[in-house]
Formats: sequence, structure tokens, C-alpha cells
Amino acid sequence: MTQPLLSVNGVSKYFGGLKAVDEVDFDVFPREILGILGPNGAGKTVLFNLISGIYQPTAGEVHFCGQRIDGLPPHLIAQRGMGRTFQIVKPFGSLTVLQNVLVARGVMRYGHLTKIWGPWGSKAEIREAMEVLDKVGLTELAQRKASLLPLGNLRRLEIARALIVGHTVLLLDESFSGLRHDEIGQLERLIRRIRDDGRTIILIEHNMRVTMGLCDRIVVLDHGRKIAEGAPKDIQQDEAVIEAYLGRKGISHAS
Amino acid sequence: MSSYTITIGTIIVIQAIAVCGLNVIVGYAGQISLGHAAFFGIGAYTAAMLSTKAGLSFWTALPLVIAIGGFIGFLLGLPSIRVREDFLAITTIGINFIVEAVFRYVPFFGGALGIGGIPRIVFFGERLKGMTFLLLCLVFLFLVLLVCWWLTRCWASLACYAVRDEESAASTMGISHVRFKLLAFVIGTSMAALAGSLYAHYMQFINAGDFSFPVSVGFLSMLVLGGMGTIWGPVIGTLILGVLPEIFRPLVDYRILFYTLLLLLMIRFQPGGLLGEESAMRRVLAPILRRGKA
Amino acid sequence: MRLFIEQLLNGIAMGSIYALITLGLALVYGVMRILHVAHAAVFTVGAYVGLFIFQATGSLALAFVGSMVACAILGVVIERFVYFPLMKYPPFVPLIGSIAVMLSIEEVCRLVAGPYILTFPAKLPFPDIYAGGIQISSTLLAVYSITAIVLFFLWYITTRTELGLAMRAASQDISISGAMGINSHLIVSITFVLGSAIAAIAGILVGIYYNQVYPTMGAVPAYKSLALIVVGGLGSVSGAVIASMLLGVAETLLIGYANIPLPRDALAFIAMIGVLMWRSEGLLGSSR
Repeated sequence: MTQPLLSVNGVSKYFGGLKAVDEVDFDVFPREILGILGPNGAGKTVLFNLISGIYQPTAGEVHFCGQRIDGLPPHLIAQRGMGRTFQIVKPFGSLTVLQNVLVARGVMRYGHLTKIWGPWGSKAEIREAMEVLDKVGLTELAQRKASLLPLGNLRRLEIARALIVGHTVLLLDESFSGLRHDEIGQLERLIRRIRDDGRTIILIEHNMRVTMGLCDRIVVLDHGRKIAEGAPKDIQQDEAVIEAYLGRKGISHAS
Repeated sequence: MSSYTITIGTIIVIQAIAVCGLNVIVGYAGQISLGHAAFFGIGAYTAAMLSTKAGLSFWTALPLVIAIGGFIGFLLGLPSIRVREDFLAITTIGINFIVEAVFRYVPFFGGALGIGGIPRIVFFGERLKGMTFLLLCLVFLFLVLLVCWWLTRCWASLACYAVRDEESAASTMGISHVRFKLLAFVIGTSMAALAGSLYAHYMQFINAGDFSFPVSVGFLSMLVLGGMGTIWGPVIGTLILGVLPEIFRPLVDYRILFYTLLLLLMIRFQPGGLLGEESAMRRVLAPILRRGKA
Repeated sequence: MRLFIEQLLNGIAMGSIYALITLGLALVYGVMRILHVAHAAVFTVGAYVGLFIFQATGSLALAFVGSMVACAILGVVIERFVYFPLMKYPPFVPLIGSIAVMLSIEEVCRLVAGPYILTFPAKLPFPDIYAGGIQISSTLLAVYSITAIVLFFLWYITTRTELGLAMRAASQDISISGAMGINSHLIVSITFVLGSAIAAIAGILVGIYYNQVYPTMGAVPAYKSLALIVVGGLGSVSGAVIASMLLGVAETLLIGYANIPLPRDALAFIAMIGVLMWRSEGLLGSSR
């Protein structure tokens, strides 16, 4: 069996008395699409915040590429190759779409303090940025101000930013929510293509159909605990999952 | 030009340099600072001490003044990474009051009397005063504007904007918000220190009251009036607020009210300032500029 | 010992006055997330209006009522015409607006009433108390009693009435969505009415306590009360009161007993920065 790229071991996060995430373990393997499923308030976004370093876990460890990353500040975790998007999109509103991507483009290359003074926007950089924008389908909007874009485009912009940094793992937090039907199809194809380029993807999603169709494996959370893990078709038949999702009424209805 | 006009002009240019520094902190990096006069004062006092007590010339002291100003800016900028935006506003007010109190009450800094006898700047054997001093200040302003322009062209500025707009998104992309916030503070306060040094050598006598909190409010008003985050905004704002009182000299009693009402109206109706992106002035000028190009 | 107790009593009075000024700031920050620096100008206007009514009618009761009404109106005007339209901008925009409002009002006071220090020769209807050789003057007693009444009244409103519930809901509403419904806007205005009326009381009390009313009397309290709401935890009313009391007592005792080269106005800020470095959300602040 291959080494896991990311492994989450017994991670918990308490807010006062509330156990937002409670001893969750799972592994993610290279070039996998892993879905995190769960009802509202199950702790999915908190889990992402723990992995990407926005929160420190109360207990447990997170290992990435064999090294421990919990406790590191977010930007150091990101520099090791972990990128993410946000459920509530966070574009750099005062910059253009192209500039949004150019900031991200510089993260690895201008990492050292002496190098940040280099100018942005050389021809080569712009070409590179436009390639990524082309991949996510935002070429025409490159000069538009990010704050003026509709939601669907912003979700793709966030993915473009993560792609150009060169992150090996992408955490996508409800990237499908609020999208039109045709946009959902486009985004599904985009995510598959990103995976085929050699990246690993973890996504939080509410839309069952999307999750089942897209993911190789699924982890289900409820009230901060992991209640199931496995291939989509196993998850669909898992009793604990059905109960968490549909409630007892749902089971009796189904039977 | 009469010597009076030159005096007004010199003060305006010196203030413009300080406001450019404030613009880096507030406009580029989006961190509110209501204590900029403190850093202006730290530059002035450092220059004054180095020239009167250590006997250094303006030129040998200048790198030290800028370095010390930047370093103190770094130390006092540390709260900015720990506290939220509205806390930072109050913290910087606090810094201004504390720094002013230190100047006023510590005998080492001349106490309530301030420091006098600061020598004039000597340039190739000539003592600069009047017109020549103004020219020197203009050269420094030009250099500072050049730095500001360069800042908008380099990747560091994009990173600063990113941290300003969405700190958490920037950090999960790999941009350290600590680094860029402190960087803006250091650059902005060194510019203030440069301005302070020029001020000390121009006035030849400085006093804690020159760097009190209302001076910080004045700097911020100039920046808001001109337009935060623009290159020319600080210059325009300083020029207008510097010249207006001279025009309205007969109404001397209503001068401060006029000032504060102007600031209030600006922030209420044009928070982007005169040169801001959606300002009325831009809208009026845009068609003219476009016709000029065509 | 007697001196110490007298100093302590003075310190508590000082703290009570700080609390009365800071309360309004904490209330406003609680519902609107705006640093209402201009509150100190409302306090100054309160002192002037109170003084003028007292001079004209000789009635202290009328002075209190008139000044509270005037300040309440002023507070709502500031909220409707300056803060509300600026809510959509980053927090420093309304903050700059607030400073501009404060300086403008200070100037208007100076132009209307002159730059002089006016006296406020009113006698508050409280007895002098002598106990164990210690005298509590009628003014001190008045400051204590009025502060206690205001605090109780406020505690009752915020915890025991629907209005208090609505105020807490409004603060949630605003901080989450950044937008405001009509109802919560009304709540915000009521908050300004409350805070400003309390500032009027504080203005008159300070005027009588020091027997001085002047245009910039709000300047030092303005910034000090900012430091106080930070120390107390932004938006925490009880935190603000505790911080005010502590500062009042600490200042008075330190001035009386320790020989500190720095002025006491800087002390508040040094304490504030210390507290912030230790607990970045203030003493009673919630970490969110």
C-alpha cells in the first residue's frame, strides 16, 4: 500500500464545551478525490480550518508528506503544498482577476524577503497566469475587478489561485454551492482534470449526486465524529449515514 | 517668492513626505494608524539628539535616523499583528500619547523645553536655508514618491493588497500576513522619520507638542482628502490642507471648524478621497483624459 | 490611613465618572461595531447645555432633563447622518468620520460659548456625611448615587427587558451579515439615545465635580475611554465598568503615593497596551 499523503490522527477541536471536531482520523492518498460529507454543523469546515492551520487542534496530529503540520501557521502549511478555497468566497476584491492569480503566482518564487521587490506582471508571468485562467475558463474576465464577479466565477478564481501556487493538495470547501446547473457540470470536469494533472483533492460537498459521482472515497461526519468511511456505493447503504442524513423517519420511509 | 511663501511650501513638502509614509501603512496595507505623528516625532528627536549631542551632520545621521525610525516602527507595529483592526486604531492613538509623554517628561529628551540649537543642513559647504532647503525637501519628496511608485509595481505590493483584502485567504495561499503588515509599518515609519529629520533641521527647535495626537489626525485628514492608496493623493491632500488656511486667513477663527467639516464631508461622501477610484473628480477628469489620448 | 481612604473615595468617584462616559461607547460598539469617539463631544455638549439651562432657570432637575434630551437627539443625528451611511466601509472610515464629528462639535462649542473655562456653581441635593472622622462630600455622594442608579437602570434594561434582548440580537445581526434591517436600525438608534443621555449626566456631573466647563473637556476622556473599552473587552459593558473603576482608583492612588515621571493620561494607554499583549481580546472580551 502506498504512503498516505495526508493523515489526520485523532484530531479534536473544542470551542468551550462544544466538540466541533471529535477524534477524527482518516488518510488521504496521492491523486485521490476524497469527499467529506455531513449535515450542517457536522464540523466539516472546522476540520478544513484545522488542516490548513487557521485553527490549532485541541488534540491529535496532522501529518502531511510524512511531516507533522498541526500547530504551524497557515502560510507555512500552504508553502508546503496545501491549498484551499473557502465556502464564503474570499477574492482579493480590489485586484483584477489577473492580479489575483499573479499574487498567487509569486508565492513560491518570491518567497524570500530579498526577492519580494521584483516587479509583477512580466510577459512570461502573464502568459503563465492566462494559461491557468484558461484552464478554469476565466480568460475573458482577466481584466475585470474581482469584487464585481458573480459567485460561480469567484469559485473558479479561487481554484485558479490555488492551482498556480502549485499546491499538491487542494481543499475545496463547498465549491459547488450556489452554482447553476451547467456550472456544476463544468466544475466537475475541471476537478477531474486537476486530479489527472497529478493533484490530490479533498472536498466538502452537500450535493449528494456530485459527491457520489466525483469522489473515490468518502468520509462522513456527524456532530464532529467520523461515522463512516468508504467507497461511495458503500456509503450510500451505510445505516449510520442514512440515519444521520434522513433521520429515523427517513429509514422507516425507505423500508 | 517671498520668504513666507517658502516657509509654507517647505512645511507642506515635509508633511507630504510623512503622509506618503502613512499612505503605505493605511492605503497599501490597509492598517489604520492614528499615531503617525509619533513616528514623525521619533525621527525629529533622533535627528536632533544625533546632531546636538553626538555632533553628527545631517547626512551622516540620516541613515541612522531612518534605520532607528524603521526599527521603532517595527517594534510598535508588532501589536498590529496581534490585535484586530479596531483595536489597532486605539493602540496607535495610545502609542502617540505615550511617545509624546516620554518626550515631554523625560529630561533626556529636553523635557517640556524641547531641544533647541539644531544646526542647519550643510551641503557642499553651503548652509541650506530658504529656497535651497525647499529644493532639498523637494528632492527627498521626489525620491519618496519614486519609492511609492516602485512599491505599486513590485510583487510585495500585490501581497500587501491581498493581505489587506482577505487576510485568511492570503495566508492559506502561503503569504505571511505578519511579514507584509510589519513591512508596511517599517517602510511607512521610516518615511515619517525622514520627514521628522528634515523638520528638526528646518525648525532648529522642536518640542513634544509638535508631535501630538492632533498632528496625527491632520496627517490622516490629508491622506483621506487626497485619496488613500493612490500615489499623488498624499501630495494633493497635503497641498490643499496646507494652502487653504492661508487663503482663509481672514476667517482665522473659523479655520479649524472649516478643516474638520471638510474632513467630515469628505469621509461621508467621498471616502476614497479626491483621487480615489470612484471619486467625483476622477469621473469629471476621465472623459477629458480619454479625449486627450484619442 | 485617613488620607488613604479619602484618596480611595476620590478614586472611586473618578472611576464612576469614567464608567458613565465609557458606557455609551461600549453600548454603541456592542450593537454597531463602531468606535464612537464623538461620544466625548456629546458629553461636552451635555455639560454646556446643562450649564446654560441651570443659569437660565436655576433648576438642576431641568438642567439634567434638558441636557439628556438634547444629547439624545445629537447622538441619533450623528448615528443617522454619519455612522449609518458609512457602515459598509472598513471600520476606519466611520472612525475617521467620528473624529471629524468630535473635533467639529468641539469647535462649535468654542465658537458659541467662547474658549474660556466656565464655572458650574450648582449644589447637588445630597448631604455631607461624616463617618469615623472621614468626610464624604455631597458631590462625591451624588456621583456615587447617580452612577449606581444609572448602572442599575442599564443592567435592568439590557438583561431584563425585550429591548435588551433586541439589542443583543441586533449586534449579532450586524456582525454576521454586515447589513441591518429596519428593526435593528431602530434598536441602534435607541442605543444611541441611551448612551448619549448617560453622557449628558456624566457631563453635568463632571462640570459640577470640577466646577469647570470648557470646549475641550471631552478630549482626554475621549481617548481614555477608548483605552477603557479595549481593556474591558470591546462591546462588553460590564468589562468597561470594571476597567473604568480600576483605572479611576489606580490613577488617583498612583498620583497620591507613587512618584511617576509620566502623566497619568499616558498610564491608561500603557495599561491598555499591556493588557492587549497579554489578552488580545481584553479582560472580559470573548475570543471569536
